Amino acid sequence: MTPRGPSLYGRLAGVITAVLAIGALVLGWAAWIYARVAADEAYDRLLVGAALQIAESVATEPGRVTVDPPISAFETLALAKDDRIFYRVTDPGGDSLTGQDDLASARKQGRPGRDPVLADGTYRGFPVRIVTLGRYVTGPGVDGWVEVTLAQTRLARLELARDLTLKSLLLVLGMSVLALVALLLAVRVALRPLRAVQAAIAARDPKDLQPVEVEAPREVAMLVDSINHFLGRLAERVGGMERFIADAAHQIRTPLTALAAQVDLLSSETRAERRRQQMARVRERIEQLGRLTSQLLSHAMVIHRREVVQLGPVDLVPVAQAALKEAVPLSLDRDIRVVFEPAEPSLVIRGDRVSIGEVIANAVHNAIRHGAPGLLALRLSRDGEEALVEIVDDGPGIPAAEWDEVVKPFVRGGSEAAGSGLGLTIVADVVLAHGGRLDFRQEEAGPFVVSLRFPLLVPAEDTPRQTEDAA
Amino acid sequence: MRAVLTLLAACLLAAPVRAQDSVTTFPAPGTERQVLTLDTATDLAAFEPLIRDFQRIAPDVTIRYREFVTNALFEQARGECLAERPSADLMITSSVDHLVVLSNAGCALPHRSPETLAAPGWTRWRDEVFGFTFEPAVIVYNRALLKPEEVPRTRLDLIELMREQPARFAGRIGGYDIARSGIGYLFAAFDARNALIYGRLIEGFGRTRLLTRCCSSDLIEELGKGELFIGYNILGSYAYSAQKAGAPIGIVIPHDYVLALSRGVMIPARARQPELAKRFLDYLLSQRGQRVVQQEAFFFGLNGSVPEGVEAPPGGLTSGMLRPIVIGPGLLPTQDRAKRERFLREWQNALQGAEPRGLQ
Repeated sequence: MTPRGPSLYGRLAGVITAVLAIGALVLGWAAWIYARVAADEAYDRLLVGAALQIAESVATEPGRVTVDPPISAFETLALAKDDRIFYRVTDPGGDSLTGQDDLASARKQGRPGRDPVLADGTYRGFPVRIVTLGRYVTGPGVDGWVEVTLAQTRLARLELARDLTLKSLLLVLGMSVLALVALLLAVRVALRPLRAVQAAIAARDPKDLQPVEVEAPREVAMLVDSINHFLGRLAERVGGMERFIADAAHQIRTPLTALAAQVDLLSSETRAERRRQQMARVRERIEQLGRLTSQLLSHAMVIHRREVVQLGPVDLVPVAQAALKEAVPLSLDRDIRVVFEPAEPSLVIRGDRVSIGEVIANAVHNAIRHGAPGLLALRLSRDGEEALVEIVDDGPGIPAAEWDEVVKPFVRGGSEAAGSGLGLTIVADVVLAHGGRLDFRQEEAGPFVVSLRFPLLVPAEDTPRQTEDAA
Repeated sequence: MRAVLTLLAACLLAAPVRAQDSVTTFPAPGTERQVLTLDTATDLAAFEPLIRDFQRIAPDVTIRYREFVTNALFEQARGECLAERPSADLMITSSVDHLVVLSNAGCALPHRSPETLAAPGWTRWRDEVFGFTFEPAVIVYNRALLKPEEVPRTRLDLIELMREQPARFAGRIGGYDIARSGIGYLFAAFDARNALIYGRLIEGFGRTRLLTRCCSSDLIEELGKGELFIGYNILGSYAYSAQKAGAPIGIVIPHDYVLALSRGVMIPARARQPELAKRFLDYLLSQRGQRVVQQEAFFFGLNGSVPEGVEAPPGGLTSGMLRPIVIGPGLLPTQDRAKRERFLREWQNALQGAEPRGLQ
């Protein structure tokens, strides 16, 4: 069972909601600030207008200034229905003409002027907005600035600001909900191809390893491609396994049938000479069968390891040397010169030590079996970014026409009947699995070369290492 | 120095006592548990039915009814508020501009209830000042002294009458002394908004030597006795009450425009029994209270209904001719001291026959 993380949908919904909520908060705050400025601007106009009306009512009589605050000024202010109104008009001497004597002017400094000065303040504990403006009066016995100060509490301003903020918040919330719904719908639609892929895979026959064919957007198509790639490899693997098993069964049955026939012949043979010959053949058959079996096991092992073993750094030089030692029998029926020629002290690739040892041994074995009347050389060298392992013998080699065929299982080079036909197949499989290449080469002078190329892990690595020839 | 201070203090302390006309106590019909004090500028005769009816609902409440002249009530309330002294539980006055000034200065307690919210918008301000009556300013005349065809139905009629027969009406036309009567000042201030008519009106008053009185009751009494022929801008509610009681007077609601007042009630900021005051206020504005207001106390309804025996404009009290004295900050300038001073000066000048200044 796959471990289940939190739902993608849920997580996206959470993140989007959080972002939208933060956005709504920030917008609400901004709206509140803006609304307060707007409310102040709107009501300041009324306040200044009313102060101007009062200032217009200032007149002079001989020796004094009079003021007659018009009702319309207060009715203008009464548009802010519940707000208190305070005012004061002072004569050029600074004495109150009318209104609240203790109301402070909005003008903190400078000289009186016609332009209205606005300020925030408190009067008798009420927060108020204050405007002060002046009128220059001149008449018999009077001369100077009359100042009108008008203050109004902030209830209507606050209410307007609150109202504006609430309305914009409603808009913001509406937009947020719309965005949330749209995004969640979009996520749902975006995730739909994944469900289609899942359904397509779930619905298919377990034996069906054909690529999944689902129409998917680019982002999901990559996933489908990966699945198909994986399926392809799996199909290839399973196919190879099936072919291998069928071939192996066939390969074992044939010598077994022959062996049974020979054993039958042996049992009915009375002549001693013939019996001995028959016995020798039977033994030869059994040896052949043994080799075949061990090669099949070796192949199976290599295939198995390819699937389960983690690849690591492998130094080819000691591995090849060990493989050569293992593959060359202590006693050979002919006199062969065996040479180990590493051109580099160390050649590190990424791979499975056991499999690589196996394939080098196999290749060496093959060379001894099928050729090498007098010479077998194992050469290691570096070719650019690759490590090159060459198995050289002076035998007849494999005819160029069969090079493509010999790497397939159970195809043997025509010249020799004793091999099982699996050796080079294993080699080719492993080299390919390591990202390398298997080549054959018939040199002019005669020697036949099997070359294995592996990509070097660290091309520049050059650790000094003791080398020795193996005899 | 000390003696002067003591004298001053004594005067200050004595002032409210002197201003107070009378105190009437209505003991609780049941066992007394609470005492509600009302400071009013309202005739007790008009208000009594409301007190009696309230005590039917709240039999454990004793009510103390203190009566003042409007301006005296205002001065006392302002003094109490500035000095932060405990005060009466409710203020009831026809001079709603006084209540607006007090509320503006923070001298009132707010109250919100279904009853206050049901009241018409022009009769309340800041949830602090409420109007609970509808009282038009009317022209009152002595039925025996004026022929029916002479009865002035508009202000122009009255101006014509004064212009044509100044000798007959000399000293026979009455009005409020606006320096002393708050309601007289308020009506005059609202009349003055119609500058052309107002100017000609006070010119006529000057020519016929207008007789001024502090209070509605005096005017109505003199009208009934025939000492006065015509009273101008009299509170309709008091006039109707007198007519109902048998006074030989006629009442005309002016046909050109009608000033209408809603008598104000307010809970002072330092009321001793604010909860009881709110209960009484709710009663005044409730349907039960309004029925008593209309049928027994002030006779005219907030819905514009006119009692029988009052000559109303042919079309009824339509919104076009009705000029309600809206309770709100628009009343603040009527109490502006410079404005008031100037207005009173012009009024006095006009009545003394001097050429009115600043008026056409």
